[in-house]
Amino acid sequence: MEVTLSVSRYDPDSERPETYYQEYGFDIDENATVLDGLIKVREEIDGSLALRCSCRSAICGSCAMRVNGQAMLACNTRLADVQPSNGGPVVVEPAGNMGLVKDLVVEFDLFWDKIRAVKPWLQPEGPEPEAEYLAPSEDMLHLSGVMSCIMCGACVSDCTVLEVDDNFLGPAALAKAYRFVADPRDGADNERLGELNEYGGVWDCTRCMQCVEVCPKDVAPMDRIMAMRDQAMEAGYTNTYGARHAMAFADSIEHSGTLDELRLPIKTFGIFNIKEMIKLAPVGIKAQLAGKRPPIFHKKTPGVENVRRLFEKTEKVENDK
Amino acid sequence: MKYAFYPGCVSRGAAPELYASTMEVAGRLGLELDYEPMKTASCTGSGVLQEKNQRLGDTLNARTFALAERSGLPLLVICSTCQGVMSQANKRLTSDPDYLASVNEDLAEEGLEYKGTIEPKHLMWAIIEDIGIDKLKAAVTRPLTGFKVAPFYGCYIVRPSSALDFDDNPERKDSLERVIEAVGAEVVDFDGKTACCGFPILTINQTASLTMVANHTGEAKHKGAMAMVTPCPLCHLNLDGYQPQASKLRRQEPIDLPIIHFPQMLGLAMGIDPQAMRLNKHIVSTTKLLSTMALTP
Amino acid sequence: MYEHDVLVIGAGLAGMRAAYTASQNGVDVAVVSKVYPVRSHSNAAQGGINAAMTDRGDAWEDHAFETVKGSDYLADQDAVEILSSEAEHEVISMEHMGVIFSRDEEGRLATRAFGGQSQARTFFVADFTGQVLLHVLHEQILRLGVRVYEEWFVLSLIMEEGECAGAVVMEMKTGDIHVIRAKAVIIAAGGLGRAFEPSTNALICTGDGMALAYQVGAPLMDMEMVQYHPTTLKSNGALLSEAARGEGAYLLNSEGQRFMERYAPNMMELASRDVVSRAEQTEINEGRGVDGCVLLDVRHLGEKVIDEKLSQIRQLGIDFAGADMAHEPVPIRPGMHYQMGGIKTDVDGLTNVPGLYAAGETACVSVHGGNRLGANSLLDTLVFGRRSGEHAVDFVKSKKHANIDDSAADPDREQIRAMLARDGGGELFGAVRRELGETMNNHLAVYRDEEGMRTAFEKLSELRARYEKVVVHDKGKVFNTNLIFTLELGFMLDCAEAIILGALERKESRGAHTRTDMPDRDDENWLKHILISRTEDGETAVDFLPVKITQWQPQVRSY
Repeated sequence: MEVTLSVSRYDPDSERPETYYQEYGFDIDENATVLDGLIKVREEIDGSLALRCSCRSAICGSCAMRVNGQAMLACNTRLADVQPSNGGPVVVEPAGNMGLVKDLVVEFDLFWDKIRAVKPWLQPEGPEPEAEYLAPSEDMLHLSGVMSCIMCGACVSDCTVLEVDDNFLGPAALAKAYRFVADPRDGADNERLGELNEYGGVWDCTRCMQCVEVCPKDVAPMDRIMAMRDQAMEAGYTNTYGARHAMAFADSIEHSGTLDELRLPIKTFGIFNIKEMIKLAPVGIKAQLAGKRPPIFHKKTPGVENVRRLFEKTEKVENDK
Repeated sequence: MKYAFYPGCVSRGAAPELYASTMEVAGRLGLELDYEPMKTASCTGSGVLQEKNQRLGDTLNARTFALAERSGLPLLVICSTCQGVMSQANKRLTSDPDYLASVNEDLAEEGLEYKGTIEPKHLMWAIIEDIGIDKLKAAVTRPLTGFKVAPFYGCYIVRPSSALDFDDNPERKDSLERVIEAVGAEVVDFDGKTACCGFPILTINQTASLTMVANHTGEAKHKGAMAMVTPCPLCHLNLDGYQPQASKLRRQEPIDLPIIHFPQMLGLAMGIDPQAMRLNKHIVSTTKLLSTMALTP
Repeated sequence: MYEHDVLVIGAGLAGMRAAYTASQNGVDVAVVSKVYPVRSHSNAAQGGINAAMTDRGDAWEDHAFETVKGSDYLADQDAVEILSSEAEHEVISMEHMGVIFSRDEEGRLATRAFGGQSQARTFFVADFTGQVLLHVLHEQILRLGVRVYEEWFVLSLIMEEGECAGAVVMEMKTGDIHVIRAKAVIIAAGGLGRAFEPSTNALICTGDGMALAYQVGAPLMDMEMVQYHPTTLKSNGALLSEAARGEGAYLLNSEGQRFMERYAPNMMELASRDVVSRAEQTEINEGRGVDGCVLLDVRHLGEKVIDEKLSQIRQLGIDFAGADMAHEPVPIRPGMHYQMGGIKTDVDGLTNVPGLYAAGETACVSVHGGNRLGANSLLDTLVFGRRSGEHAVDFVKSKKHANIDDSAADPDREQIRAMLARDGGGELFGAVRRELGETMNNHLAVYRDEEGMRTAFEKLSELRARYEKVVVHDKGKVFNTNLIFTLELGFMLDCAEAIILGALERKESRGAHTRTDMPDRDDENWLKHILISRTEDGETAVDFLPVKITQWQPQVRSY
């Protein structure tokens, strides 16, 4: 199979470092991966190409990079699957949202700082038992879904919030935090959820699902973040804009069947939160002038009692759990 | 072609332009949009309700699907977020018969049952898969030649691809570009095309949200776009409604990039009066754009 | 110059376990690793960790005996007794640290069956046990705040007055070369799999630790004992865990027959690895293979069991063999997997060089002898990682730092300068590495003979000569992976030398060392370890040590 790679190059040792693209063409096995191609380049064509790689089987997390614009592991991505249909080259670039070190090697310091920030170690309650902790099998199975994370950084690379706010803990660190929040042996849930409730924590996720899409291990970081939002609210951390927004949203649907956009910001910010209401005001006024404002008397959907009944039912199921 | 029509909350709330323009173009595409079966349907939960209680979200969507099933009509939506939330719920419901059965127990009291036959479909997909690009082209009376437009999908209509059946329907991946080209306009490709508009964190992390708006509209403008088109009214709310504030945040000149709803673009190509599609009711004015294109609002 | 009481080289399980222990004992310990700790190859251990727990009717003596039998009686029995009697403590400690071991219905730790053992005593986390152990130990290293020099590459060990005094290390991000002075150095740098092509091992497994010790005169022991794992994928050599057979997978030949009934009628697919690999190779050699492979079949286990317990290997099959194990058998073959030999240590990890310790795959205690049992390697890393840490803690208390300074790094600086200065027209490291790997895999695999091993030795001399002329394209300082790979190749050539010399020396068949020209085990002459070392004048020396026998006299080995 003939393949052309267009590889993003960056040499910090050069006089005026800048990113450029270099093309490498070669013949390779039909089943070869992007990593096989890059190894062929560095072993046979151009030894100067820098990249991280190790296990070749999607467990060490070294080789996350962008292929045709999307983060993935080079080692479990078959070249045949990413060859553009227009005959163009396969574009290989370093992971995003992390500083560039050289070629396909990115800066991971901030990544580990964020992992450290969630206190990623078990904090058990009470004295250690002599033998193992007794723990339900299904809890451990559930945790293995999130412990599958190999810290490759693909989710961080493509996270849309980190792109604009590097204070956000990000999908990898939050998934790591969930690993403890959901561990029946951990006794620091409340403290953890309290900290995750702050700026940069669970509420700053924009639910864009990039992390779910690019994760090579099906960790679904966003789903873990959503689970922690719910747990934070359950634990009584309801005094955030995010929590109030979620609750107001649910309220609106329960009472009218649909979304009451006018009351949502009032409930989110609190009617007396003049500062935040004013921030929204120019838009509100403009919207009114433009004729866009939602109806003041939010109409109820006919048959909303059926919706309310489902709320009561499923909430009862949740509580029984 | 007749559909059970689910307009979603926003098209009947903060983005009445979407509703108006959808109604305008439907007839010309030979679509009969029947709202009657969906009259009692609730919000999809928009992903927000699902944070609190996924089962509840799935149950509400199963109820909507059951209502559509009862009408015997396929289900049409006009919002990326509705599409995504419904598709995800549908996948969970149809891939686990036990789960579906237990959700159906909750629906039984209302005399409803979801059998798992509904495939919610956005107007944009329906044009490609059901109606046909040719039929759309035939309805175009005023090709948008010279109109450079940047596509903006909205997260929920591109991710997660597994829930949206991209494997079986690969054309969904670039459906917006296909339609743009079909109406004679020119696609302005840019990095932000499938990124997040920032709307979900508008009230939580306003700076981050507005930075997203500024980045995407700024990038598209920089690449030569005269406007941006989106199949998602929530994206529209942020990209249009908050664009002036976003410009200020970046301490730069107004970005001034009109954001138009997907059906508004179709309508322009069909020669529909811009005012009937409420193009004069946007925050970022469309006046200049329309006059450039020799259309008056 | 940096300075620590204890310097650990390698951040896999053995290294981090040693560092954990040293840190808990209040010693100033640091870890240096050429990759981020969670990238270490301990990740790849899928199936589990052995421990005979008394409260479930198991006895450590049984585990020890089966380990000794598995080793083809080459393991030192005093070391094996320590390994198995301390296993329970290690597994429970790791559980307390946070490992999410799979549970039974009562919420207690579940076990699965593994090869060469009469009891189900393998504790596991689905089929990614090593990954979880590694990540959890890393969590603890973060909790303790142990300094880890991440992405620093060790160039050489510093010797002062016959003792190990630290290491010369390159900071990869800057290319700067530093001295790290230490009172004790613990090498826990893993295996040497990349000296073989193909291999299940990660690209970082280049024998650095063994070569570093070899270069300062520490003997390497049992290096001829190279394990070929019975179930690896043909395409890229990737490992499919023994967990598959532990859960009940069949091995089938081209006739659909469970051929193990002819080789190991009692244990069948769960015989020792050397036995199963030989059986597979014989089937393939005698024409009952499928395209150079035999078949691994798990379909009868059902999709639910496969998803709960073997999901990772199912995915590996899909990704790298294009076969979904839930619906079809996967072609597999024996593949180079593990080095039983390594730096010779005592049961506290101490090598023949004062101040120098080794643990994990880098080391040879020896607990694996001629053939390692599945799920004993994770145990080895933890037990002997901890013991080296403990011993080093005591050792450094009464010791002063050696009188060295930054100039100790000058020879390495000069060597690298010379390497980078070589003319740009010569060959890259790639071809030399590949030819080395293929040579080793052709002549030091499941079956060996004198002629093949001699051929390999000659080829090695040729490769060494070519290595001296290999050019490095990248002349820069920052993250020069071209330079790193070239240095790693140098380490692998040293390791290969010790393997071939050891293999030529052992004139019998034992464990993984099976000679078609000498097919029988010879306890009278060869119940002993072979030690290969390099003298100060650069010559190689061969030495022998008797095997320590405590309870179990050698017997005929059958499964």
